[in-house]
Amino acid sequence: MSDERIQGYARGLFEVARAEGTLDEVEDELFRFARSYESNDSLRQAMTDEQVPADRRQAIVEDLLGGRATPTTVQLVSMVVGSGRGRDLPAIIDELVQRAASAKDLDVAEVRTAVPLTGDQQDRLKAALENATGKRLTLKAVVDPSVVGGVVATVGDTVIDDTVRTRIEQLKSRL
Amino acid sequence: MSILATALVGVGEVVVREGGHAPFDDKGYTTKNPILPPTGELLIGSAASLIVFGLLYKYMWPVIRQFFRDRTSRVQTELDDSAAAKAAAEQEAERIRAAKGDIDAERSRLYAEADAQAEALLVEGRARIDAEMDELERRADAEIVAAAGRSGEELAAEISRFSSRAIERVVAATLDDAAQQDLIENFIARVGASR
Repeated sequence: MSDERIQGYARGLFEVARAEGTLDEVEDELFRFARSYESNDSLRQAMTDEQVPADRRQAIVEDLLGGRATPTTVQLVSMVVGSGRGRDLPAIIDELVQRAASAKDLDVAEVRTAVPLTGDQQDRLKAALENATGKRLTLKAVVDPSVVGGVVATVGDTVIDDTVRTRIEQLKSRL
Repeated sequence: MSILATALVGVGEVVVREGGHAPFDDKGYTTKNPILPPTGELLIGSAASLIVFGLLYKYMWPVIRQFFRDRTSRVQTELDDSAAAKAAAEQEAERIRAAKGDIDAERSRLYAEADAQAEALLVEGRARIDAEMDELERRADAEIVAAAGRSGEELAAEISRFSSRAIERVVAATLDDAAQQDLIENFIARVGASR
């Protein structure tokens, strides 16, 4: 899918969420869903399989998110999957997140940890990253067991990696 | 011999005793000599014989002589041809003998050359086999060294693989919640301190 089309979908989702007045909430829910979507192969395969009818794919989305996300989030994901763009869903959502941050004159800081961060840790981590990068940030925390331990933060093209996974990889390469 | 002498004496006596012409009778001239004809007949016969011999000498003798000369010339020519043929045959025989000698020499040369080539081939073959043996031994040594190296590398890789898995498991097992929180707090502190 071309960048232009991804941006078009992202712009549409952004405008709907902003019109509904739930942009922050929808953006956060979509971001979490995108990360889960990326890490779940069977879900991604079901959402991108053209042999599965569109209404069936949409029903799966509603079963997954129903009661756990706002109706706007569910409808937006369902719309994207139903239109056969499930393969580009993470890219569309990432573009939406960037657009929402830009609307608030913020940059997105994606932080991955093996265990959930507390609210206090998120605040302090956000402040630390803003101090390090000199940018105003909106923090997107992702729980990713593959990092094993520690934190990896991505702000634009800058990656600050202090994860156990990376250290193990370095040790492996030495071995 | 005595009979012939007696006959000749008898004839001489008759000629001497008659001493004249032969008598002519009803049977013609009759001579009493059994060998000599009458004198007239003898003269005429002698003259006729001389004429015949003269004619023969004049007309036949050149032909006969020419015939014999031609025959002599032909025979000489044939003798010359035979001599020439003999000389040519001897020359050819000499040439054949020389050629035979050449063939023998060529055969000897070919044998010598074949022997030399065979010897050279043997030497070259032995040298090539020796070189191939050396090359095979060198390759075998290199293969042994490489195999030993590969085995060492494979062993090291296997150890590294097992070590990596062991490290992952040990680290994951030792990372309890407190350790996780320490790692996060350390990250926040370090990033916050950097600018």
